[in-house]
Amino acid sequence: MLKDLTSEKLIRLNIHARDWQDAIRQAAQPLVDHNKISISYVEDIIAGVIENGPYIVITKHVALPHARAEAGAKENAIGIATLSQPVAFGNEANDPVKYLFCLSATDNSRHLSALAELANLFEDKEFFKLLDTTKNKKDIIQYIKDKEEQ
Amino acid sequence: MYKALVCCRAGMGSSMLLKIKADQVISENDFPIQTEHGNLDSLNGFTGDLVITMEDLSNELQGKVPYALGIRNIMDKDEMKAKIQEFLDSKK
Repeated sequence: MLKDLTSEKLIRLNIHARDWQDAIRQAAQPLVDHNKISISYVEDIIAGVIENGPYIVITKHVALPHARAEAGAKENAIGIATLSQPVAFGNEANDPVKYLFCLSATDNSRHLSALAELANLFEDKEFFKLLDTTKNKKDIIQYIKDKEEQ
Repeated sequence: MYKALVCCRAGMGSSMLLKIKADQVISENDFPIQTEHGNLDSLNGFTGDLVITMEDLSNELQGKVPYALGIRNIMDKDEMKAKIQEFLDSKK
């Protein structure tokens, strides 16, 4: 379940990011701090985008920074970050990015149900409205829990 | 029944989301397509009919796989449906 993979300590709201690299680093930092990923994992995300383009921008204004498990995923986890000022990632269809969901996946299958939930959240305008307006991380976790119980 | 491989560069994350959304669109429209999930390595020896991936990658795959379908916005079901329909039409 998504609520098992994320938590208040993995959420950062209203980050001031200089550019897309800074946005990824700041969004991923709580996952580094809480031992979900290594620094090398973050560098691999950035290297991947430089090398291959902004494929992690998956829908309008949303990036899903992630890398291969071998790059340094330690524990399945999902971080949530919002930017005070959206930044361009170079993805024509979906720029600028305002929301980052940093994903750490140690295996292919175990996080599948959480990703399905995330897919539902990405279609939920109320969820993004909440991300835009709340200053309280608890509200976000509560929203995810409530949605799971529906 | 056509066989599709859903993949992205990292083999997780975006491709898993892509598979979830592709499966939704396929079942809603009764498209005769079966999906499996993989990473770029899965392309070696791939014997299916179709690769579904993000657009930047699909451009690279043109000519290397039987059919490469590139999605710009994972959450846009209309885009997904139209592009899969295009693939099916190409088979007629």
